[in-house]
Amino acid sequence: MRDWEAVVRDKLAGMNLEPDARGEVIAELAAHLAETCEELCKQGTTEEEAARRTLSQVKDWEKLGRLIQTARTKENIMTNRVKQFWFPALVTLLLSMGLLMLIQVFGPSPWTVSRKSGWTFVAPVAVIYLPWLLSLPVIGAIGAYLSNRAGGSRRAVFSAIVFPVLPYLAFFVVALPVIAIFNDYLAHHIMFGALFLGLFAWVLAPVRRFLWADG
Amino acid sequence: MIGAGIKRGTAELAVLSVLEEGPLHGYELARRIEQQTKGALRFTLAALYPMLYRMEQRGWIRGIWETSDNGRRRRCYRLTPTGKKKLLPLRQEWSELFQALKMLKRVSHA
Repeated sequence: MRDWEAVVRDKLAGMNLEPDARGEVIAELAAHLAETCEELCKQGTTEEEAARRTLSQVKDWEKLGRLIQTARTKENIMTNRVKQFWFPALVTLLLSMGLLMLIQVFGPSPWTVSRKSGWTFVAPVAVIYLPWLLSLPVIGAIGAYLSNRAGGSRRAVFSAIVFPVLPYLAFFVVALPVIAIFNDYLAHHIMFGALFLGLFAWVLAPVRRFLWADG
Repeated sequence: MIGAGIKRGTAELAVLSVLEEGPLHGYELARRIEQQTKGALRFTLAALYPMLYRMEQRGWIRGIWETSDNGRRRRCYRLTPTGKKKLLPLRQEWSELFQALKMLKRVSHA
């Protein structure tokens, strides 16, 4: 009696799967080959010929190993990406933006930093919602918990936590410079102090607060 | 004999249809498909298992280890509720394709 598990293990030596999954695949394929061989023997084929015909079902074992590896891991990676990053990221984004809207409507007035220009005050250069900033560690903790629970890597957890800040970062790093290129007035009246204060109020401080939860 | 290209497209429908009748392990599943299609659809081990694993990842089928009477451990595949839901539109798609091909035949014979 041929040891089909040893045959399959040898043939699929290059297949890269977790030990448990690999063991399952080897056992399953070996059982299939054993049954095929037994069936052929029952039909009167010699054991040697039956083994040869059984093995001829697979022309390229290396390719089979790759196909199985892809089938068992590729879609899994996609699912994991949703669970470990996209879902926690969207939860933190929705919670933080929802809370910001509620605070803007029902909460206390924001702390505004203004700049004096001659005798008059110009528009506030930064508007800081302190209750919102204070709530961010809790929201960050929720995002970190969801990503961690799904087995997210350190990078996935970090990305999911700071995800709500990315639109603001994109505004300061991409949109504002682009507007300044096309808008002469803005380009000549840009207040770097206000720019950095805005960056601090909407990007750096929220990131710091979000990451508070992550230790 | 049906060519590999067409077989690839019909394979998932064939597996889901056969599993709808009851749980089966890989070897028995391949044999049942071959018998029911009178040899027109035949799956080798190399074609069958990557497809089964892919379908399992999508949640259409679920494999559970069972020990047979002769003590051999085999993985039995069952149709999941998701797989059952998938079967209906798949059948519909193939039925529409066959109808379209029939019409094309009529046109070519006109």
